[in-house]
Amino acid sequence: MPTAASSEAAPPRSSRINKRVLVAGAAIVLPLIAVLVANLGRDPHMVRSPLVGRPAPPFSLQPVGGGAPVRLESFRGKPLVINFWATWCVPCFEEHPALTAAARGLPDVQFLGVVYEDEEARTQAFLKERSSAYPSVMDPDGRTAIAYGVFGVPETFFIDAEGRIVEKFVGPLQRSTIAELVARARGGRP
Amino acid sequence: MTRVALLSIALLSLPAMSAPAEPPPSASRAGAPRGAPLSGPELDARTDEVGALLRCPVCQGLSVSDSPSSMARNMKAEVRDKLAAGYDQEQILADFEHSYGEFVRLKPTLRGVNWLVWFGPLLALIAGAALIASKLKRSGSGPDALPAPWSAAAVDVPDRGTLPDDPRLAEAMRRVRELAYGWPGGVPPKAGASA
Amino acid sequence: MIATLGRTLILLALLAASAGALVGFATGARPGAVAGWRWTRRLAYAFAALMVLANLTMEYALLTHDFSVSYVAHVGSRSVPTWVSIVSLWSSLEGSILFWGLVMGIYVAVATFRHRDDHPEYMPYAVGVWLACGAFFSFLLAGPAQPFAAVANPPVDGPGPNPLLQNHYLMVIHPPFLYSGYVGMTIPFGLACAALLVGRLGHDFIRPLRNFLLLSWIFLTVAIVLGGWWAYEVLGWGGYWAWDPVENASFLPWLTATAALHSALLVERKGVLKGWTTTLVIATYLLTILGTFMTRSGVFNSVHSFTQSAIGPTILVFLAAALIFSVVLLTLRVDTLSAEGRLETGASRDIAFLVQNLLFVLFTFTVLLGTVFPLVVEAVRGVQMSVGRPYFDRMSVPIGVALLFLMGVGPALPWGRAGREQLRSALLPPVVSAALLTILGVVLGVRNAWTLLALAFGGFTAHVTVGELLLPVRQRMRAHGEGALEAFRQAQGRGRRRFGAYIVHAGAVVVIAAVAVSSTMGSSKEVQLARGETATIGGYTLTFVNAERIREPHRESVRARMEIRKNGHEAGWLYPRMNQYENQREPIGSPAVRTGLAEDLYVSIHNIDVEAGSVGLLILINPMVCWIWIATAVMALGGLVTLIPSARGAAAAARVEASTAPLSIEGSS
Repeated sequence: MPTAASSEAAPPRSSRINKRVLVAGAAIVLPLIAVLVANLGRDPHMVRSPLVGRPAPPFSLQPVGGGAPVRLESFRGKPLVINFWATWCVPCFEEHPALTAAARGLPDVQFLGVVYEDEEARTQAFLKERSSAYPSVMDPDGRTAIAYGVFGVPETFFIDAEGRIVEKFVGPLQRSTIAELVARARGGRP
Repeated sequence: MTRVALLSIALLSLPAMSAPAEPPPSASRAGAPRGAPLSGPELDARTDEVGALLRCPVCQGLSVSDSPSSMARNMKAEVRDKLAAGYDQEQILADFEHSYGEFVRLKPTLRGVNWLVWFGPLLALIAGAALIASKLKRSGSGPDALPAPWSAAAVDVPDRGTLPDDPRLAEAMRRVRELAYGWPGGVPPKAGASA
Repeated sequence: MIATLGRTLILLALLAASAGALVGFATGARPGAVAGWRWTRRLAYAFAALMVLANLTMEYALLTHDFSVSYVAHVGSRSVPTWVSIVSLWSSLEGSILFWGLVMGIYVAVATFRHRDDHPEYMPYAVGVWLACGAFFSFLLAGPAQPFAAVANPPVDGPGPNPLLQNHYLMVIHPPFLYSGYVGMTIPFGLACAALLVGRLGHDFIRPLRNFLLLSWIFLTVAIVLGGWWAYEVLGWGGYWAWDPVENASFLPWLTATAALHSALLVERKGVLKGWTTTLVIATYLLTILGTFMTRSGVFNSVHSFTQSAIGPTILVFLAAALIFSVVLLTLRVDTLSAEGRLETGASRDIAFLVQNLLFVLFTFTVLLGTVFPLVVEAVRGVQMSVGRPYFDRMSVPIGVALLFLMGVGPALPWGRAGREQLRSALLPPVVSAALLTILGVVLGVRNAWTLLALAFGGFTAHVTVGELLLPVRQRMRAHGEGALEAFRQAQGRGRRRFGAYIVHAGAVVVIAAVAVSSTMGSSKEVQLARGETATIGGYTLTFVNAERIREPHRESVRARMEIRKNGHEAGWLYPRMNQYENQREPIGSPAVRTGLAEDLYVSIHNIDVEAGSVGLLILINPMVCWIWIATAVMALGGLVTLIPSARGAAAAARVEASTAPLSIEGSS
């Protein structure tokens, strides 16, 4: 099999540096690597809430089991903890005891549950089975959840006495976290 | 050539011109509706359009119009209500952004460094076109350029100045080219700068 | 036991690949080292064999439900059908990397065997590069992404693969096609690196480079569209492409590969653009690695991404190393690939090729920018934002339409510089077809400006493409007096590459036109129906007859029975479903599609209540969608036709072989 009988010159021995390729290559490669490295470890599903530091969105919702609508304004003057939860949410079971204990131990703080994407009957049955130290309201069309920028449950908002959202916590809470965040709600923004 | 370039530039800047304008920095929740209330099929159509610009927060990248999840349907209902009340598109988008952040807009605004994503492709097109133009100028076609093949059906045959690998074929081609083109040794005069 | 066997095979593969890479590079640096080449080949075959065995071992473990193997414990299940167990090999992260290794092994073995006697200066380098890539993936399998880790207390049963992947048979063929395309890009990458390392890219070597690039391209084209078909048939939102980061990850290398295929033609014909073509081929491979990083690192928010895992940093290191290696290699060696010819300035096909390449690279840049941009903004402004479908649709429409036009103008232009008369006779007749198709579109109700433009250019390009397909036939009929059929056979046999290429173009025209029409001419309706109620859309009447429950081993479904009538006539039944899988909270819907040549009737369930007898439906009419699938198959067939060696080359060689002396020009013959 004859070797390639082309009329091209033999490969040059010197290695010239093609500056344009180097500059272009570096301009593409370095920023790309930098951006990817900078974002490693970040969870794209954890979206930070823009509502922190802003007034809590108003609402007027029916309590579970009926009764007069509960409005946000009625809680002015006290720190408020709003916990979005649902009966089908497993982490919500996990945090329920912590929240109940916190509500009992902190009488000057108002706790409120907002039921997310669930049915009244199921919620009533659930609450009958387990004791609850604070009221829950229904959010049937999800509007309040949308107003609060809720992605899923459980999500908890810590609001100060003037009605400002001090912190949003995503996921099941523990007693220590509740205590810490309530302290921040009491003292205003740090 | 320049006409083509101008046309492409014009075509490619169209999308950038459609990028949404800068919304007011502290878009408050309350506010008077700026548009006219909608109803009927127009309401349906506009709900779909505005929904297509909102990201369903619990899905991965789907718009509120496309997503079947219950949260998306709730959001779509809210869009519909707002449109029916007469709010315009920017007010509705700003409202959702107030709750969820810039994340919920599927079409990037022109804030801060965002201009790069709208104008970057245009800049790349201009740079690329300039590169091609300069390369063609350097390897300009002179009178000793290879003539076009006599028939388009011959496109399977390479028409470069070099010869095939097979030595007998190469010999035959060399003879033909000597006679047909007058190239000594069957090889064309040196072609020029690298391309 | 199986776990140990699997781990051993992986480690041996890692050894073979690493050793083979070293031997390959050493042999390449010292041409003529026959023993070195022999050992390089052996190690390549060994790597391939070990990967095949490792995959067979995993399949055996999956089929026998051996939960002592970590991957089987992760995705295996006794309650899924057998085909799901087989397919679980590639359903989750570690298994998919194992499958990657299998495809790579097969490709490396085939490519090494095919060229075991050719291109002796290039092949050791090429195999060295392939095995270096193989070594990386073996390392992943041996360390961060171990599928064969031993489970201390094997569970009795496993969770099964992601239910979305059990919903449709397309899951069986989409990943193999995707990997055959994606992983296959390693071969041209190795060949391109070899060309740079040797310092030459001759007519002889561009052939295998182009052939393997084309083979992978065919698989990748089919895979991308299969993915779209899967999204359409399974996900229920009625579309086939959402510009999801993982979809983009598969699309980016396709774009640069298509550009490379075209510039490779100029390398072959004129010996120009060698450095550019190698750059494109290298970029294609780098984009596949970037794509695999995007899919598996958990950094991108995507519907497809495998769960966040620790292999992200490892892949990023490999990506960075590959990027730096490529830039350095190109910087130092691209000037050795000297051009042998000259590009034509002025209106000619050369310019069309250059503009086409520019547009494809621009398209790649735009999609890459949009996909990566949220990460950039996060780093610069600290804000999370999205770049979604509205952006990509806006950007891709002008580029796609421009490419459609170019696909018509390019082949219409001659290879050399065209005179004014030539231009006129080449470019005017297709305008007639363009006008006809546009008028037809307007008559059928198309009002969207871009769609009309797509139809106009589509008509133009279709005219040119059909003309080019028939051109050699007509020439033969004129010159040789052959009948149409005979002329077609002869022309096709001798100019097969060209013939296949224009078939691909014809398919592409139909795809773009179908995408344009289906995106803008559809209609939708959301209804809530009780038993017996009907909904109308377009010419269709849908009646909700009843809902029924269906129990299968791995899921429980609720099915809506819909009676369809079209323009008054019976048109069959549709059964959209909601499937509840054991470990998922939300049920996953399966839409029902009535496929027709002109349009699809698409029904998807939003909510369904069997007891109350009510169903909430999304009903869509999607025009011309099936043409996307059909035309893609045409494109793939065209590509395959192009790969078949043409009779002309063989005939020419045979004639030269037969004559014992060089041609004598003096006497008449």
